[in-house]
Amino acid sequence: MSREGFVAPQNLSSAASGFTSNKNNTVKYICTSCATNVSLGRNDAIRCSSCGHRVLYKARTRRMVQFEAR
Amino acid sequence: MGVQYRTADFKTLERERRFQNPPKDKSAFPLLEEAVRPHVGSFNALTEGTGGGLLNLGVKDIGYKTIFDSNDTERLGNKLRIRVESVQLAKPQVPPNDKLSIDKKIWPSEARERMISYRGKLLLKVSWSVNDGEEISEIRDAGQVPIMLKTNRCHLENLSPDQLVNRKEESDELGGYFIVNGIEKLIRMLIVQRRNHPMAIIRPSFTNRGAAYSQFGIQIRCVRPDQTSQTNVLHYLNDGTVTFRFSWRKNEYLVPVVMILKALIETNDREIFDGIVGSDIENSFLTDRLELLLRSYKSYGLSSNRQTLAYLGDKFRVVFGATPDVSDVDVGKEVLQRIVLVHLKDNRDKFRMLLFMIRKLYTLVAGDCAPDNPDATQHQEVLLGGFLYGMIIKEKIEEYLNNFKLQVQSDLNRGTAVNFNDRKYITRVFSRINENIGQKLQYFLSTGNLVSQSGLDLQQVSGYTVVAEKINFYRFISHFRMVHRGSFFAQLKTTTVRKLLPESWGFLCPVHTPDGSPCGLLNHFAHKCAISTEESDVSGVPDALSALGVSPAHTFAAGPDVCCVQLDGKIVGWTTHQQSKVIADTLRFWKVEGTHNLPLDLEIGYVPPSSKGQYPGLFIFGGRSRMMRPVRYLPLDKEDIVGPFEQVYMNIAVTPEEIENNVHSHVEFTPTNILSILANLTPFSDFNQSPRNMYQCQMGKQTMGTPGVALVHRSDNKLYRLQSGQTPIVKANLYDEYGMDNFPNGTNAVVAVISYTGYDMDDAMIINKSADERGFGYGTVYKVEKVDLGQSRRRGDPITQHIGFGADEWPKEWRKILDTDGLPMIGSRVEEGDPIVAFYDETIGKTKVKTYHSSEGAYIEEVKLLGDEGNDQEFQQLTIKYRITRAPLIGDKFSSRHGQKGVCSRKWPQVDMPFSETGIQPDVIINPHAFPSRMTIGMFVESLAGKSGALHGIAHDSTPWKFSENDTPADYFGEQLRKAGYNYHGNEPMYSGATGEELRCDIYIGVVYYQRLRHMVNDKFQVRSTGPVNSLTMQPVKGRKRSGGIRVGEMERDALIGHGTAFLLQDRLLNCSDYTQTSICRGCGSLLSTQTSVPRIGSAATIRCRNCSAKFEHSSSYVDESDIWEDGQGNKFIGGNDTTTVAIPFVLKYLDSELAAMGIRMRYNVQPK
Repeated sequence: MSREGFVAPQNLSSAASGFTSNKNNTVKYICTSCATNVSLGRNDAIRCSSCGHRVLYKARTRRMVQFEAR
Repeated sequence: MGVQYRTADFKTLERERRFQNPPKDKSAFPLLEEAVRPHVGSFNALTEGTGGGLLNLGVKDIGYKTIFDSNDTERLGNKLRIRVESVQLAKPQVPPNDKLSIDKKIWPSEARERMISYRGKLLLKVSWSVNDGEEISEIRDAGQVPIMLKTNRCHLENLSPDQLVNRKEESDELGGYFIVNGIEKLIRMLIVQRRNHPMAIIRPSFTNRGAAYSQFGIQIRCVRPDQTSQTNVLHYLNDGTVTFRFSWRKNEYLVPVVMILKALIETNDREIFDGIVGSDIENSFLTDRLELLLRSYKSYGLSSNRQTLAYLGDKFRVVFGATPDVSDVDVGKEVLQRIVLVHLKDNRDKFRMLLFMIRKLYTLVAGDCAPDNPDATQHQEVLLGGFLYGMIIKEKIEEYLNNFKLQVQSDLNRGTAVNFNDRKYITRVFSRINENIGQKLQYFLSTGNLVSQSGLDLQQVSGYTVVAEKINFYRFISHFRMVHRGSFFAQLKTTTVRKLLPESWGFLCPVHTPDGSPCGLLNHFAHKCAISTEESDVSGVPDALSALGVSPAHTFAAGPDVCCVQLDGKIVGWTTHQQSKVIADTLRFWKVEGTHNLPLDLEIGYVPPSSKGQYPGLFIFGGRSRMMRPVRYLPLDKEDIVGPFEQVYMNIAVTPEEIENNVHSHVEFTPTNILSILANLTPFSDFNQSPRNMYQCQMGKQTMGTPGVALVHRSDNKLYRLQSGQTPIVKANLYDEYGMDNFPNGTNAVVAVISYTGYDMDDAMIINKSADERGFGYGTVYKVEKVDLGQSRRRGDPITQHIGFGADEWPKEWRKILDTDGLPMIGSRVEEGDPIVAFYDETIGKTKVKTYHSSEGAYIEEVKLLGDEGNDQEFQQLTIKYRITRAPLIGDKFSSRHGQKGVCSRKWPQVDMPFSETGIQPDVIINPHAFPSRMTIGMFVESLAGKSGALHGIAHDSTPWKFSENDTPADYFGEQLRKAGYNYHGNEPMYSGATGEELRCDIYIGVVYYQRLRHMVNDKFQVRSTGPVNSLTMQPVKGRKRSGGIRVGEMERDALIGHGTAFLLQDRLLNCSDYTQTSICRGCGSLLSTQTSVPRIGSAATIRCRNCSAKFEHSSSYVDESDIWEDGQGNKFIGGNDTTTVAIPFVLKYLDSELAAMGIRMRYNVQPK
């Protein structure tokens, strides 16, 4: 299996098209050490781009999260 | 005492300001730092202090290892002397090949988040010389050693609260523990024998050593400057002689004591006689035995010092692994240096001390002195974590050098070219041996097991470390004040070691010990008890002593009739008993005064002469590991530090009122100094029955409270958190001094003591439903799950699983929880079976998910992506933190601070709750029956104090022993209640919430601080109708985790029989367990011989007994075709059709087959026929 086959798809239809620019829609991560926003590529190591720190937090989703209040 | 300190403060503004701007200089709570000082101080001592720290003293003690490069017995060959010259411990750093990181330091928070160990490099400077030539040295990397937090090898040392917060720590981080694989571990303190003091012991097990051995012995635990110890014991033999015993590498050796004496110095029998007997020549008991002792030694025929040394050396040459180039005499000297009274350097001092010990032994045997109690604090000290750590490192370094030697030896045996002058060869030897000492220490910390060749003079091999659990702050801080007697004593049948002795007054808390199996073995230090981690400067003591008229050590004197003066186990002089009292008092005055170059923490143990009491003398101690505590010295009205040895013979008044002239020399600063931190926090504990205070010390540690504030930066497996924590209205002043408000542990609740709903029987409590909805006791549990895709992969294999979605088809509903990166969205809710991580498996070309495994739903709180400092690998590891909401439920456990625990039995609607005349309705209702037998009057007092505090808007001090018979809390708080317009006694008329009628008696209602305990029904409930069964017995499995059943055991069975509920019994034991229908043969009564026949055309399969049927032979007479049946193998049989089906428990079948295996047949008479 080639590494090219591995693409995080936005939806199922775009998954078929293979490579798409996913710059605009990637999930943001936050560096634990310097709090800069980091976006990761597919096979990047977990490193902050500005300080080289080794732990990243996932940012809270921008999508709506809805719960049933009971 | 008196009324003066009876106020407490909420300090709300002060606290808020401190939270907003953490102090930039030092912690606001010095007492907390003081509490963990024994741990931090002992670790610091490893690398700092005289002689370059304990580690460097240790390698100096190890000395050289000599290796020869010849296998030939005729010649020795080239000589290599190798040693470790010095040891260095570095701070935690990223590896040098990491070029990306800007900050090269590794901070503890990263170790916690990434679940790695917080460790620094151990560097050994190894030096060697060939044929005594020039010394060559090389620095070797001995791996990464876990580092204790906030010590001088930790980056957090000396950081201000403000800086600590910036480093993702608590504002008042204490340190004192290690981080091993992300788990906080600490080495717990152990009680050991007091160092350098010979203790008289009568132990019946001593007689097991041999025929002549008696139960008498003198034991001394000698401690080297590097804090490693060696125990020496003198045994009294029934023939009057004395044997010296020691253990070396877990083997015991016995040497006649006179041989040791003669080996130490050039001496004669006269000198030995005089040194033991002194002027007591009238004492025929003593002189007779001494004559025997000296006479029986003559059989060895060793008279001179050199002869004796050579004899000793010859015997111990193999044991000590001495090389052939060392003479017997030198080996003998090494034995003395490494074994005999190792706390002393000079042989003359050792000789004198040994004579003193022999005399003490004879005195003990004669019954002129009492045995010393090894269970009393007087003869104990504390083995500190840092020192133990140093001892292990020292031993591992010695092992390292030995391994070097063994490697050279194996090279020689294998015929590999050995060339000591070749640097390459030495490097090759280094590379062949295991140099990773750090890994061994990591193993020690993570398992608590001690792997040691020598045993380190300790009595146990496991249980040295514990996890510093952060359930709440009480539990966390208690870990550092905890001291264990040793797991050896846990197995002891006798309870003597567990007893609370008066000697431990002020050092060990009498209240704070668990009940149950560790009771009395696991103690906690009184909150003012400190442990010395540095050697006191005792250089001024000999001068002060001689100025006071103590005659020097070489004086002709011996025995208990004169006073022997010892300083840290060294005889410094002799004096009379009358004089020694004066000397002890003067020394104490001088040291408190701060003159004559005497340290304040010097322990002046004056043991007065007595009739058959403790062996008298003046024993002065200034070493490490001693317990000590402050008291006020009356003559100077200044602080004095006392230790447990001297305290026994001192008169310390508990309160100033108690002081009597010419009796008391000291007074306690406050009586609460005898209590541990937790015991101090129990309000009005002096009004409670004592076991209740013990229970509170236990329950305080199980409370769902505030484990910390830097929770975002932690990755504990499980954390409990109380959302609605409050500061108690009623609190001891120490509560604020220890900064407990940073970690609130409960909620103030209006408590009515009334039997009201019928749901409050047997320690149940009713919670006001509206109080519950307002957030009373609302808690959260955080759980962290680590996902590591690399776990199943072997080292060096390529990565085949990639986090994220693949390009294949996968169920679209996964995206409801997972983001585009394959990780869950923060804040989304997951139930059992929901996906939490998606990853693409290259080998099968499919996207897979890991799922959430818990019946309880949770919210995704945090997702942390974990990197690696070394090789920049693709993303493989992450942690997911779940938030599980835990609103109070029926069945959750609560308690007040008085050992009054209860389970919530109902949430009662507020409208139906009783109300008082002012309209107050209780948050909690408890049953009055909780009080008469338990006598927790402190809870009533707290209720009063809380009520008056709430009414007047003030906090109340609940420090114990502030009130007296003439000045009662009932009056003090009653008066305040009266001023606020309430009933003086705290009870009020109340009205039924259901009918509105006034209740027929007044109800005791007040404000009590309630803790929510971590035992919750959601973690405990267990139900099952059908489920997994054991495949062997077909009975339900056990265990909540496996959704098993609850056993109806023998006692439950008896109860059911007793009630005559036969059907219930049948249902529980058979129908709901391993009910089976099985076929049985009526004819032979066997369960095991039945089988199903192969169905034939036109007829169904039948059950036949194989045992009762005969094999069908064609030659035999005519048989009806329908009578013939066939088994699975094609064999044909006739008969055996007398079978039927019965209901049995399946285990019966199992039992039958087990018995069959032993050749026992079971036969059942089946009825009706």
